[in-house]
Amino acid sequence: MEQKLRQEAKALLEQKRVDWIIGFTPGSLKFTTTPLITRDKADTERLVINPFITNNLANFLTEIKGRVGIVAKGCESRSIVSLIQDNKVAREDLVILAVPCPGIIDLAKIERLVGKDRDELDDVSRDGDKVSVKVDGKKKDFAAADVLFDHCLACELPTPQEYDIILGEPRPPAPDLKVSGQNIAELKALTPAERWASWENELSRCIRCYACRNVCPACFCQRCFVEETEPQWTLPMPQWQDNLIFQIIRNIHVAGRCTDCGECERVCPVNIPLRSLTREMYDTVDELFKFKSGMDKDALPLMAHYEQEEAEDFFK
Amino acid sequence: MTQESKWEPKLLGFLCRWCSYAGADLAGTSRKKYPANIRIIKVPCSGRVDSLFILKALRLGFDGVLVSGCHPGDCHYQTGNYRARRRIAITKRFLEYLGVEPQRLQASWVSASEGGKFTEVVTDVTRGLKEVGPNQLFERRKDGAKAKAGSKGTARAKKG
Repeated sequence: MEQKLRQEAKALLEQKRVDWIIGFTPGSLKFTTTPLITRDKADTERLVINPFITNNLANFLTEIKGRVGIVAKGCESRSIVSLIQDNKVAREDLVILAVPCPGIIDLAKIERLVGKDRDELDDVSRDGDKVSVKVDGKKKDFAAADVLFDHCLACELPTPQEYDIILGEPRPPAPDLKVSGQNIAELKALTPAERWASWENELSRCIRCYACRNVCPACFCQRCFVEETEPQWTLPMPQWQDNLIFQIIRNIHVAGRCTDCGECERVCPVNIPLRSLTREMYDTVDELFKFKSGMDKDALPLMAHYEQEEAEDFFK
Repeated sequence: MTQESKWEPKLLGFLCRWCSYAGADLAGTSRKKYPANIRIIKVPCSGRVDSLFILKALRLGFDGVLVSGCHPGDCHYQTGNYRARRRIAITKRFLEYLGVEPQRLQASWVSASEGGKFTEVVTDVTRGLKEVGPNQLFERRKDGAKAKAGSKGTARAKKG
Protein backbone atom coordinates (compact mmCIF):
# COMPACT_ATOMS: atom_id res chain seq x y z
CA MET A 1 0.00 0.00 0.00
CA GLU A 2 2.79 2.34 1.00
CA GLN A 3 4.81 1.58 -2.15
CA LYS A 4 1.80 2.18 -4.36
CA LEU A 5 1.09 5.46 -2.59
CA ARG A 6 4.67 6.64 -3.16
CA GLN A 7 4.55 5.73 -6.84
CA GLU A 8 1.19 7.35 -7.39
CA ALA A 9 2.15 10.50 -5.50
CA LYS A 10 5.39 10.79 -7.44
CA ALA A 11 3.60 10.26 -10.73
CA LEU A 12 1.02 12.92 -9.87
CA LEU A 13 3.74 15.48 -9.22
CA GLU A 14 5.77 14.46 -12.28
CA GLN A 15 2.78 14.66 -14.60
CA LYS A 16 1.93 18.02 -13.04
CA ARG A 17 -1.57 16.81 -12.26
CA VAL A 18 -1.18 18.31 -8.82
CA ASP A 19 0.88 21.10 -7.29
CA TRP A 20 0.93 19.67 -3.80
CA ILE A 21 0.86 16.33 -2.07
CA ILE A 22 -0.56 16.07 1.42
CA GLY A 23 0.19 12.88 3.30
CA PHE A 24 1.77 11.43 6.40
CA THR A 25 5.42 11.04 7.29
CA PRO A 26 6.97 9.55 10.45
CA GLY A 27 6.99 11.97 13.36
CA SER A 28 9.95 12.79 15.57
CA LEU A 29 8.57 10.68 18.43
CA LYS A 30 8.02 6.94 18.45
CA PHE A 31 4.74 5.72 16.98
CA THR A 32 3.74 9.11 15.70
CA THR A 33 3.20 10.55 12.26
CA THR A 34 3.12 14.12 11.17
CA PRO A 35 1.46 15.68 8.14
CA LEU A 36 3.70 16.11 5.13
CA ILE A 37 2.80 18.87 2.70
CA THR A 38 5.16 18.99 -0.22
CA ARG A 39 5.67 19.90 -3.86
CA ASP A 40 9.03 18.14 -4.09
CA LYS A 41 8.77 14.70 -5.70
CA ALA A 42 11.77 13.40 -3.74
CA ASP A 43 9.71 13.85 -0.58
CA THR A 44 7.16 11.30 -1.73
CA GLU A 45 9.62 8.60 -0.61
CA ARG A 46 8.93 9.71 2.95
CA LEU A 47 5.17 9.09 2.74
CA VAL A 48 3.86 6.38 5.05
CA ILE A 49 0.66 4.53 5.82
CA ASN A 50 0.62 2.85 9.23
CA PRO A 51 -1.79 2.41 12.15
CA PHE A 52 -0.74 5.78 13.60
CA ILE A 53 -1.89 8.19 10.90
CA THR A 54 -4.06 10.22 13.24
CA ASN A 55 -4.46 13.71 11.79
CA ASN A 56 -7.36 14.75 9.63
CA LEU A 57 -5.49 16.11 6.60
CA ALA A 58 -8.57 17.79 5.15
CA ASN A 59 -7.79 20.57 7.62
CA PHE A 60 -5.01 21.85 5.33
CA LEU A 61 -7.06 22.02 2.15
CA THR A 62 -8.57 25.41 2.91
CA GLU A 63 -5.12 26.92 3.40
CA ILE A 64 -3.47 25.61 0.26
CA LYS A 65 -3.79 27.19 -3.16
CA GLY A 66 -3.52 25.05 -6.25
CA ARG A 67 -4.32 21.46 -7.10
CA VAL A 68 -3.76 18.98 -4.34
CA GLY A 69 -3.24 15.24 -4.12
CA ILE A 70 -4.40 14.20 -0.69
CA VAL A 71 -4.11 10.94 1.21
CA ALA A 72 -7.56 10.24 2.64
CA LYS A 73 -8.89 7.75 5.13
CA GLY A 74 -12.66 7.42 5.41
CA CYS A 75 -12.98 10.28 7.89
CA GLU A 76 -10.84 12.61 5.78
CA SER A 77 -12.87 11.82 2.70
CA ARG A 78 -16.02 12.82 4.55
CA SER A 79 -14.44 16.06 5.68
CA ILE A 80 -13.34 16.71 2.11
CA VAL A 81 -16.86 16.07 0.80
CA SER A 82 -18.17 18.42 3.44
CA LEU A 83 -15.72 21.12 2.28
CA ILE A 84 -16.86 20.56 -1.31
CA GLN A 85 -20.48 21.04 -0.21
CA ASP A 86 -19.50 24.33 1.36
CA ASN A 87 -17.61 25.46 -1.75
CA LYS A 88 -14.40 25.69 0.22
CA VAL A 89 -12.57 23.44 -2.23
CA ALA A 90 -13.36 22.37 -5.77
CA ARG A 91 -13.56 18.67 -6.57
CA GLU A 92 -11.61 19.14 -9.81
CA ASP A 93 -8.66 20.59 -7.88
CA LEU A 94 -8.32 17.42 -5.86
CA VAL A 95 -6.84 14.02 -6.47
CA ILE A 96 -7.99 11.85 -3.59
CA LEU A 97 -5.72 8.91 -2.77
CA ALA A 98 -8.04 6.66 -0.80
CA VAL A 99 -6.73 4.56 2.07
CA PRO A 100 -9.17 1.87 3.27
CA CYS A 101 -8.66 2.34 6.98
CA PRO A 102 -8.77 -0.46 9.53
CA GLY A 103 -8.82 2.02 12.41
CA ILE A 104 -6.13 4.06 14.13
CA ILE A 105 -4.36 2.91 17.27
CA ASP A 106 -4.89 5.04 20.36
CA LEU A 107 -1.57 5.06 22.22
CA ALA A 108 -3.24 6.38 25.35
CA LYS A 109 -5.30 3.18 25.54
CA ILE A 110 -2.17 1.04 25.12
CA GLU A 111 -0.42 3.04 27.84
CA ARG A 112 -3.33 2.35 30.17
CA LEU A 113 -3.40 -1.36 29.35
CA VAL A 114 0.34 -1.91 29.60
CA GLY A 115 0.93 0.57 32.41
CA LYS A 116 3.95 2.06 30.66
CA ASP A 117 4.67 5.32 28.94
CA ARG A 118 4.73 5.26 25.15
CA ASP A 119 8.48 5.99 25.16
CA GLU A 120 9.08 2.72 27.00
CA LEU A 121 7.34 0.57 24.40
CA ASP A 122 9.67 -1.20 21.99
CA ASP A 123 7.24 -1.95 19.23
CA VAL A 124 3.55 -1.76 18.40
CA SER A 125 2.29 -3.64 15.37
CA ARG A 126 -1.09 -4.50 13.95
CA ASP A 127 -2.08 -7.77 12.33
CA GLY A 128 -5.75 -8.01 11.45
CA ASP A 129 -7.78 -7.98 14.65
CA LYS A 130 -4.71 -8.32 16.81
CA VAL A 131 -2.34 -5.64 18.06
CA SER A 132 1.00 -6.80 19.43
CA VAL A 133 2.93 -4.64 21.85
CA LYS A 134 6.54 -5.42 22.63
CA VAL A 135 7.65 -4.14 25.99
CA ASP A 136 10.73 -5.12 28.05
CA GLY A 137 11.47 -7.85 25.52
CA LYS A 138 8.06 -9.46 26.08
CA LYS A 139 5.25 -9.53 23.55
CA LYS A 140 1.68 -8.80 24.58
CA ASP A 141 -1.33 -9.24 22.33
CA PHE A 142 -4.48 -7.17 22.51
CA ALA A 143 -7.70 -7.26 20.56
CA ALA A 144 -7.76 -4.37 18.09
CA ALA A 145 -11.13 -3.27 19.49
CA ASP A 146 -9.45 -2.55 22.83
CA VAL A 147 -6.77 -0.23 21.52
CA LEU A 148 -8.37 1.63 18.60
CA PHE A 149 -9.75 5.14 18.99
CA ASP A 150 -13.39 5.22 20.09
CA HIS A 151 -14.46 6.99 16.94
CA CYS A 152 -12.80 4.29 14.82
CA LEU A 153 -14.86 1.64 16.59
CA ALA A 154 -17.99 3.38 15.36
CA CYS A 155 -16.67 4.24 11.90
CA GLU A 156 -19.39 4.31 9.28
CA LEU A 157 -17.08 4.83 6.35
CA PRO A 158 -13.64 3.20 6.61
CA THR A 159 -13.18 3.36 2.83
CA PRO A 160 -13.68 6.73 1.16
CA GLN A 161 -16.73 7.00 -1.07
CA GLU A 162 -15.24 9.81 -3.07
CA TYR A 163 -11.80 9.08 -4.50
CA ASP A 164 -9.65 9.00 -7.61
CA ILE A 165 -7.08 6.35 -6.76
CA ILE A 166 -7.68 3.60 -4.25
CA LEU A 167 -4.80 1.98 -2.40
CA GLY A 168 -5.84 -1.47 -1.22
CA GLU A 169 -9.07 -3.36 -0.76
CA PRO A 170 -12.26 -1.59 0.41
CA ARG A 171 -13.29 -2.35 4.00
CA PRO A 172 -16.77 -2.76 5.51
CA PRO A 173 -18.15 -0.33 8.14
CA ALA A 174 -17.51 -1.06 11.82
CA PRO A 175 -19.81 -3.81 13.08
CA ASP A 176 -21.07 -2.00 16.15
CA LEU A 177 -21.91 1.62 15.49
CA LYS A 178 -23.43 2.09 18.93
CA VAL A 179 -20.21 1.37 20.80
CA SER A 180 -18.97 4.94 20.90
CA GLY A 181 -22.22 6.23 22.39
CA GLN A 182 -21.48 4.87 25.84
CA ASN A 183 -20.43 8.17 27.39
CA ILE A 184 -23.49 9.83 25.96
CA ALA A 185 -25.83 7.15 27.29
CA GLU A 186 -24.29 7.57 30.73
CA LEU A 187 -24.73 11.33 30.57
CA LYS A 188 -28.32 11.03 29.44
CA ALA A 189 -29.13 8.84 32.43
CA LEU A 190 -28.26 11.79 34.72
CA THR A 191 -30.63 14.60 35.65
CA PRO A 192 -30.21 17.85 33.68
CA ALA A 193 -28.61 19.56 36.68
CA GLU A 194 -26.10 16.73 37.08
CA ARG A 195 -25.31 16.83 33.38
CA TRP A 196 -24.68 20.55 33.51
CA ALA A 197 -22.50 20.11 36.58
CA SER A 198 -20.48 17.43 34.81
CA TRP A 199 -19.84 19.78 31.90
CA GLU A 200 -18.93 22.53 34.32
CA ASN A 201 -16.46 20.13 35.83
CA GLU A 202 -14.98 19.04 32.50
CA LEU A 203 -14.79 22.50 30.97
CA SER A 204 -13.21 24.07 34.04
CA ARG A 205 -10.03 22.26 32.94
CA CYS A 206 -10.05 23.94 29.53
CA ILE A 207 -7.06 26.23 29.00
CA ARG A 208 -8.48 27.74 25.81
CA CYS A 209 -5.54 26.64 23.69
CA TYR A 210 -8.01 26.29 20.78
CA ALA A 211 -6.30 23.12 19.61
CA CYS A 212 -9.75 21.57 19.08
CA ARG A 213 -10.69 24.41 16.78
CA ASN A 214 -7.41 24.58 14.91
CA VAL A 215 -7.27 20.88 14.17
CA CYS A 216 -10.86 20.77 12.94
CA PRO A 217 -11.40 20.69 9.17
CA ALA A 218 -14.98 21.91 9.68
CA CYS A 219 -13.85 24.99 11.65
CA PHE A 220 -12.75 27.14 8.75
CA CYS A 221 -13.96 30.62 9.72
CA GLN A 222 -11.45 33.32 8.88
CA ARG A 223 -12.18 34.95 12.18
CA CYS A 224 -13.57 33.00 15.11
CA PHE A 225 -16.28 34.49 17.32
CA VAL A 226 -14.18 33.91 20.43
CA GLU A 227 -11.61 36.34 19.12
CA GLU A 228 -14.13 39.07 18.32
CA THR A 229 -13.67 42.10 20.51
CA GLU A 230 -16.51 44.23 19.12
CA PRO A 231 -18.77 42.86 20.50
CA GLN A 232 -16.91 40.60 22.85
CA TRP A 233 -19.04 37.49 22.98
CA THR A 234 -16.91 35.54 25.40
CA LEU A 235 -14.00 36.44 27.60
CA PRO A 236 -10.70 35.09 26.27
CA MET A 237 -9.50 33.97 29.68
CA PRO A 238 -10.27 30.41 30.62
CA GLN A 239 -13.22 30.26 32.95
CA TRP A 240 -15.67 27.45 32.65
CA GLN A 241 -18.70 29.51 31.69
CA ASP A 242 -16.98 30.99 28.66
CA ASN A 243 -15.23 27.73 27.86
CA LEU A 244 -18.58 26.00 27.77
CA ILE A 245 -20.13 28.68 25.59
CA PHE A 246 -17.16 28.36 23.23
CA GLN A 247 -17.70 24.60 22.93
CA ILE A 248 -21.48 24.88 22.55
CA ILE A 249 -21.24 27.47 19.81
CA ARG A 250 -18.38 25.66 18.11
CA ASN A 251 -20.49 22.54 17.94
CA ILE A 252 -23.50 24.43 16.63
CA HIS A 253 -21.32 26.12 14.00
CA VAL A 254 -19.97 22.82 12.73
CA ALA A 255 -23.33 21.03 12.87
CA GLY A 256 -23.79 19.34 9.52
CA ARG A 257 -20.07 19.63 8.80
CA CYS A 258 -18.69 17.70 11.75
CA THR A 259 -18.15 14.11 10.71
CA ASP A 260 -17.26 13.01 14.23
CA CYS A 261 -13.66 12.29 13.23
CA GLY A 262 -12.62 12.64 16.86
CA GLU A 263 -9.64 14.92 16.21
CA CYS A 264 -10.78 17.54 18.76
CA GLU A 265 -10.86 14.98 21.53
CA ARG A 266 -7.51 13.50 20.53
CA VAL A 267 -5.64 16.80 20.58
CA CYS A 268 -7.20 18.13 23.78
CA PRO A 269 -4.28 18.56 26.21
CA VAL A 270 -6.56 18.29 29.24
CA ASN A 271 -8.60 15.32 28.00
CA ILE A 272 -12.03 16.91 27.82
CA PRO A 273 -14.40 14.29 26.36
CA LEU A 274 -15.33 16.46 23.41
CA ARG A 275 -16.69 13.58 21.39
CA SER A 276 -19.59 13.39 23.81
CA LEU A 277 -20.54 16.76 22.33
CA THR A 278 -19.72 16.15 18.67
CA ARG A 279 -21.30 12.72 18.54
CA GLU A 280 -24.52 13.97 20.11
CA MET A 281 -24.70 16.82 17.61
CA TYR A 282 -24.00 14.42 14.77
CA ASP A 283 -26.83 12.12 15.90
CA THR A 284 -29.21 15.04 16.48
CA VAL A 285 -28.65 16.36 12.97
CA ASP A 286 -29.21 12.90 11.56
CA GLU A 287 -32.37 12.38 13.59
CA LEU A 288 -33.97 15.77 12.94
CA PHE A 289 -32.96 16.38 9.35
CA LYS A 290 -31.86 12.99 8.03
CA PHE A 291 -28.51 14.55 7.26
CA LYS A 292 -25.20 12.76 7.53
CA SER A 293 -22.31 15.11 7.03
CA GLY A 294 -19.79 14.41 4.32
CA MET A 295 -21.65 11.63 2.57
CA ASP A 296 -22.96 13.24 -0.61
CA LYS A 297 -20.93 15.90 -2.36
CA ASP A 298 -23.93 17.21 -4.29
CA ALA A 299 -26.11 17.69 -1.20
CA LEU A 300 -26.72 21.24 0.00
CA PRO A 301 -25.06 22.20 3.30
CA LEU A 302 -27.32 21.58 6.29
CA MET A 303 -27.76 25.20 7.27
CA ALA A 304 -28.19 26.49 3.72
CA HIS A 305 -31.16 24.28 3.16
CA TYR A 306 -34.59 23.52 4.63
CA GLU A 307 -37.72 21.46 4.15
CA GLN A 308 -41.21 22.93 4.29
CA GLU A 309 -42.16 20.74 7.20
CA GLU A 310 -39.62 19.62 9.77
CA ALA A 311 -38.61 20.06 13.43
CA GLU A 312 -41.84 21.87 14.13
CA ASP A 313 -42.95 20.18 17.36
CA PHE A 314 -41.55 22.67 19.86
CA PHE A 315 -42.86 25.82 18.18
CA LYS A 316 -45.72 27.45 20.01
CA MET B 1 -40.14 39.54 52.43
CA THR B 2 -37.73 36.86 51.26
CA GLN B 3 -35.86 37.14 48.03
CA GLU B 4 -37.67 34.20 46.45
CA SER B 5 -41.10 35.72 46.71
CA LYS B 6 -39.85 38.86 44.97
CA TRP B 7 -38.26 36.93 42.13
CA GLU B 8 -39.83 37.35 38.74
CA PRO B 9 -38.40 35.64 35.67
CA LYS B 10 -36.65 37.79 33.13
CA LEU B 11 -37.49 36.75 29.61
CA LEU B 12 -35.68 38.04 26.56
CA GLY B 13 -37.73 38.09 23.39
CA PHE B 14 -36.24 38.26 19.92
CA LEU B 15 -39.15 39.32 17.74
CA CYS B 16 -39.04 39.60 13.99
CA ARG B 17 -39.95 43.06 12.82
CA TRP B 18 -42.46 41.99 10.20
CA CYS B 19 -44.71 39.64 12.16
CA SER B 20 -44.09 39.04 15.83
CA TYR B 21 -43.08 42.58 16.71
CA ALA B 22 -46.20 43.87 14.99
CA GLY B 23 -48.14 41.18 16.82
CA ALA B 24 -46.78 42.44 20.13
CA ASP B 25 -47.69 45.95 19.05
CA LEU B 26 -51.21 44.83 18.28
CA ALA B 27 -51.49 43.17 21.69
CA GLY B 28 -50.55 46.54 23.19
CA THR B 29 -52.88 48.68 21.08
CA SER B 30 -55.78 46.31 21.68
CA ARG B 31 -55.03 46.61 25.41
CA LYS B 32 -54.43 42.93 25.94
CA LYS B 33 -52.54 42.05 29.12
CA TYR B 34 -49.37 40.03 29.00
CA PRO B 35 -46.69 39.54 31.66
CA ALA B 36 -44.22 42.40 31.90
CA ASN B 37 -41.44 39.82 32.30
CA ILE B 38 -40.56 39.98 28.63
CA ARG B 39 -37.90 42.39 27.36
CA ILE B 40 -38.15 42.72 23.64
CA ILE B 41 -35.38 43.08 21.08
CA LYS B 42 -36.55 43.77 17.56
CA VAL B 43 -34.64 41.82 14.93
CA PRO B 44 -35.02 42.10 11.15
CA CYS B 45 -35.96 38.42 10.86
CA SER B 46 -36.04 35.38 13.11
CA GLY B 47 -33.25 34.11 10.85
CA ARG B 48 -31.07 36.86 12.30
CA VAL B 49 -31.04 35.19 15.69
CA ASP B 50 -27.69 33.53 16.17
CA SER B 51 -27.34 30.74 18.73
CA LEU B 52 -24.71 32.96 20.25
CA PHE B 53 -27.37 35.57 21.14
CA ILE B 54 -29.28 32.90 23.04
CA LEU B 55 -26.22 31.70 24.92
CA LYS B 56 -25.13 35.25 25.67
CA ALA B 57 -28.56 36.07 27.09
CA LEU B 58 -28.45 33.04 29.36
CA ARG B 59 -24.88 33.92 30.34
CA LEU B 60 -25.97 37.43 31.26
CA GLY B 61 -28.60 35.99 33.57
CA PHE B 62 -31.83 36.04 31.59
CA ASP B 63 -34.03 33.22 32.80
CA GLY B 64 -35.35 32.41 29.38
CA VAL B 65 -35.21 33.34 25.72
CA LEU B 66 -38.10 33.48 23.29
CA VAL B 67 -37.50 33.62 19.56
CA SER B 68 -40.53 34.53 17.54
CA GLY B 69 -41.02 35.01 13.84
CA CYS B 70 -43.47 34.76 10.98
CA HIS B 71 -45.37 31.56 10.31
CA PRO B 72 -43.65 29.16 7.89
CA GLY B 73 -44.25 30.41 4.37
CA ASP B 74 -44.87 34.00 5.50
CA CYS B 75 -41.29 35.19 5.89
CA HIS B 76 -40.70 38.63 4.45
CA TYR B 77 -37.38 37.33 3.15
CA GLN B 78 -38.91 34.05 1.91
CA THR B 79 -36.74 31.61 3.81
CA GLY B 80 -35.47 33.31 6.97
CA ASN B 81 -37.80 31.56 9.39
CA TYR B 82 -37.10 28.14 7.88
CA ARG B 83 -33.41 28.69 8.53
CA ALA B 84 -34.17 29.95 12.01
CA ARG B 85 -36.18 26.80 12.62
CA ARG B 86 -33.26 24.52 11.80
CA ARG B 87 -30.88 26.54 13.89
CA ILE B 88 -33.15 26.81 16.90
CA ALA B 89 -34.06 23.13 16.68
CA ILE B 90 -30.45 22.00 17.01
CA THR B 91 -29.65 24.68 19.59
CA LYS B 92 -32.59 23.64 21.73
CA ARG B 93 -31.80 19.95 21.49
CA PHE B 94 -28.15 20.54 22.24
CA LEU B 95 -28.81 22.76 25.24
CA GLU B 96 -31.23 20.22 26.65
CA TYR B 97 -28.60 17.53 26.22
CA LEU B 98 -26.12 19.66 28.13
CA GLY B 99 -28.55 20.13 30.98
CA VAL B 100 -30.40 23.38 30.27
CA GLU B 101 -34.09 23.13 31.17
CA PRO B 102 -36.19 22.98 27.98
CA GLN B 103 -38.35 25.89 29.17
CA ARG B 104 -35.44 28.30 28.89
CA LEU B 105 -35.39 28.38 25.11
CA GLN B 106 -38.75 28.76 23.46
CA ALA B 107 -39.83 29.60 19.95
CA SER B 108 -43.11 30.60 18.40
CA TRP B 109 -44.70 31.73 15.20
CA VAL B 110 -46.78 34.87 15.75
CA SER B 111 -48.14 36.84 12.83
CA ALA B 112 -48.87 40.58 12.79
CA SER B 113 -52.58 39.92 13.33
CA GLU B 114 -52.14 37.59 16.28
CA GLY B 115 -52.02 39.97 19.24
CA GLY B 116 -54.01 37.43 21.23
CA LYS B 117 -51.63 34.64 20.44
CA PHE B 118 -48.69 36.80 21.48
CA THR B 119 -50.18 37.35 24.95
CA GLU B 120 -50.85 33.62 25.22
CA VAL B 121 -47.30 32.71 24.24
CA VAL B 122 -45.70 35.17 26.65
CA THR B 123 -48.01 34.08 29.49
CA ASP B 124 -47.27 30.46 28.77
CA VAL B 125 -43.49 30.92 28.55
CA THR B 126 -43.43 33.03 31.71
CA ARG B 127 -45.40 30.37 33.57
CA GLY B 128 -42.90 27.75 32.42
CA LEU B 129 -40.01 29.89 33.65
CA LYS B 130 -41.65 30.37 37.03
CA GLU B 131 -41.81 26.59 37.30
CA VAL B 132 -38.13 26.05 36.59
CA GLY B 133 -37.00 28.96 38.74
CA PRO B 134 -34.11 31.41 38.40
CA ASN B 135 -31.36 30.81 35.89
CA GLN B 136 -28.33 29.67 37.86
CA LEU B 137 -26.67 27.89 34.99
CA PHE B 138 -23.63 30.11 34.83
CA GLU B 139 -23.58 31.08 38.48
CA ARG B 140 -22.10 28.10 40.24
CA ARG B 141 -18.58 29.34 40.38
CA LYS B 142 -15.51 27.33 41.03
CA ASP B 143 -12.81 29.89 40.42
CA GLY B 144 -12.08 31.94 43.52
CA ALA B 145 -12.20 35.47 42.15
CA LYS B 146 -15.57 35.01 40.54
CA ALA B 147 -17.05 33.29 43.58
CA LYS B 148 -16.23 36.37 45.63
CA ALA B 149 -17.75 38.70 43.08
CA GLY B 150 -20.85 36.52 43.05
CA SER B 151 -21.31 36.60 46.80
CA LYS B 152 -20.82 40.37 46.84
CA GLY B 153 -23.53 40.67 44.24
CA THR B 154 -25.97 38.72 46.36
CA ALA B 155 -25.13 40.74 49.44
CA ARG B 156 -25.89 43.93 47.57
CA ALA B 157 -29.13 42.51 46.23
CA LYS B 158 -30.22 41.53 49.71
CA LYS B 159 -29.48 45.00 51.08
CA GLY B 160 -31.47 46.66 48.32
